[in-house]
Amino acid sequence: MFQAQNLIKSYGAVRAVDGVSFTVAKGEVYGLLGPNGAGKTTTMSMLSGLLAPDDGRILFDGIDLAAEPIKVKAQLGVVPQEPALYETLSARENLHFWGGLYGLSGAGLNKAVDRVLDLVGLADRAKEPVKQYSGGMKRRINLALGLVHGPRAVLMDEPTVGIDPQARLNILESVKQVAAGGTTVIYTTHYLEEVEQLCDRIAIMDHGKILAEGTLDELKSRMGGRDIVTVRGSFDAAAVRPRLDELAGVQVTAVDEGKLVMTVEGSGRGAVDVLTRVLSGGLAIDGVSIQPPSLNTVFLNLTGRELRD
Amino acid sequence: MGIIAHLVAKDVRRKARSPLGLIAALAFPLLFAGLIALAFGRGDSIPKVRILVDNEDDGLVASLVASAFTSQQASAYFDAKTVTADEGRKLIDDGKASALLIIPKGFTADVLDKKPVKLSLLRNPAEGILPEIAEQMTGAIVDVLDAARRVFDKPIEELRPLLADDDKAPADADVITISLSVKKAIEGLSGLVNPPAIALESEMFGTAVKKEDKKSNGDTPSAIFLAVLPGVAVYGLFLVADQGMRDVMTERTLGTMRRQLAAPVTANTVILAKAAYTAILAAAALFVMAAVGAAVLTTSVSVAAFLLVAFCLVLAVTGTAAVIYGLAKTERQAATLGNMVFLMMGFLGGGFIRVEGLPAAIRAIAPFTPLYWGTKGFRALLENGAGVAGVLQPALVLLAIGVVLLAAGAAALRRTAKAGAGA
Repeated sequence: MFQAQNLIKSYGAVRAVDGVSFTVAKGEVYGLLGPNGAGKTTTMSMLSGLLAPDDGRILFDGIDLAAEPIKVKAQLGVVPQEPALYETLSARENLHFWGGLYGLSGAGLNKAVDRVLDLVGLADRAKEPVKQYSGGMKRRINLALGLVHGPRAVLMDEPTVGIDPQARLNILESVKQVAAGGTTVIYTTHYLEEVEQLCDRIAIMDHGKILAEGTLDELKSRMGGRDIVTVRGSFDAAAVRPRLDELAGVQVTAVDEGKLVMTVEGSGRGAVDVLTRVLSGGLAIDGVSIQPPSLNTVFLNLTGRELRD
Repeated sequence: MGIIAHLVAKDVRRKARSPLGLIAALAFPLLFAGLIALAFGRGDSIPKVRILVDNEDDGLVASLVASAFTSQQASAYFDAKTVTADEGRKLIDDGKASALLIIPKGFTADVLDKKPVKLSLLRNPAEGILPEIAEQMTGAIVDVLDAARRVFDKPIEELRPLLADDDKAPADADVITISLSVKKAIEGLSGLVNPPAIALESEMFGTAVKKEDKKSNGDTPSAIFLAVLPGVAVYGLFLVADQGMRDVMTERTLGTMRRQLAAPVTANTVILAKAAYTAILAAAALFVMAAVGAAVLTTSVSVAAFLLVAFCLVLAVTGTAAVIYGLAKTERQAATLGNMVFLMMGFLGGGFIRVEGLPAAIRAIAPFTPLYWGTKGFRALLENGAGVAGVLQPALVLLAIGVVLLAAGAAALRRTAKAGAGA
């Protein structure tokens, strides 16, 4: 349904998106996972037709977005990162406006408005001006605005940033319902648990590139059952590295000042060997972490840092 | 068209929910004109400058100076009274006069003898504008006298002995000689003094005053209020248009501009809708002000002429606001730029002070502002009872300004909207 082909976008000398390509099938929930500044929002802006890529193209059901933007946009829903609402209008008035902008009217529009109000659990507060809503409620109505016209695909850009756990849970439930209804969803986030819960397939982005892509299991299997071992301390990591490279089943993935990251075979046994080798050198170690394969360890393995870094 | 109406309806609904700014912009012209009227006092005519004249010389030139304030034209603006110096000072102390002009003894003789002469003007420090007017008028009289003494130097030479001897009647030959000298002096100046330099623009002001005088019945509004209202009403219209177009920036900040552009509408449609919304706001404001005007005015105004000026003015103010908001990169920048442009136009275009009261250099700049033409159109309607033909010139100029500025503003705003989309 959605095809992004070698998208490139630069802001001055900074290349925000650098050759991103992916395909999203109809009814699929596709997650773009990455830290702030990874290029997720710029990618979403290009997918929604708000930004023209410097190079590459986007196809929706075979239609080139650049050639027929209005036709493609009519089939998309957009849920921006920050709620984009008219605060002096009520939730219902906001929904009527956005639904009307996509061509809905009359009874069809009223029905659609009622449907999304029920979906986000705001039917009983629909007549209140949005400015009276809490932050979480604004996020929920922000989601509803992107869904009111019944789009075939929805682009959701970090819709749960900065809200309380209850509101977040509510939004995630709504997204699951939308996906269950057959709507294609492209969802960006830097919360691992969200992509683990929601997404059929996940792309890990950093520095404008997709580093890995696949289902959760496929991404985990990239680790080959290896643990991620991180050693921190007051030592010259580069000097220690050769000694670790001698160990079978150990692959050093990142070397920073006072920090070594490596993948280790053999579950717990491999990690013990690593520690023995490091300690035999008489190094001052402040901490060691051993993480079993997860999306976070995949990201750590790919980038040398954790998502929260 | 349906989408534009949908977008405009949303903006109108939002404005209806939060109308304070619009109300303030609408109230401004009435408040401003009302305050000016209060400052000058409510009445059927513009307040006169109360000037006292202490004429200590009984000569011909002194009488000419004193009578300058009581001439038919000056009497519309000056209430002159002959007093002694002591009486005059007391009246100024009591706040009953704006200024005291003292014509010293021997003034006429000194003028004729080409000696330096001096007129004294004591101004009432408790009053603001009126003593200034007295000073300006006196200064003008002194300039005229000074120039006349130089131009008519020869006739004065010939006249001098006759004026000195009260009992002696001039001979026919003397009269002919002096007349010829005066004729030659005037012929030499004909290129400068014909036509008179200060006559054209003051006539309208005088006309308005005369009209009010004619229908004075105690219930008519202050002439100052009516004199100031057209200019500040047009200025207020620019403030209203500013409110409308500012919404482009507000929507950019809210993120709703970005969201609109992600919908199946083009940037041109969004900008066109915003311009239509601004024009509707301005038109509504204009009709509110017209309704207030109709309530306080007793003169009839040509509806067709009013609609013509109103339509062209709405285009011009919308175009002006579009250019300002198209040039600015942020809401704050736009607000600063807008305030600067509108205030400058207000002063240069005759929004606050009638154009004929402005210095010549500013009068030359005024026609380059849309505010000038809007004010001119409304003044023609209100003060001269002009019909469509009478307002055609200002209307056409406003139309041209509106079309040009709207085209330029729309292009610039499209860029602004797209910048908002990419934000």
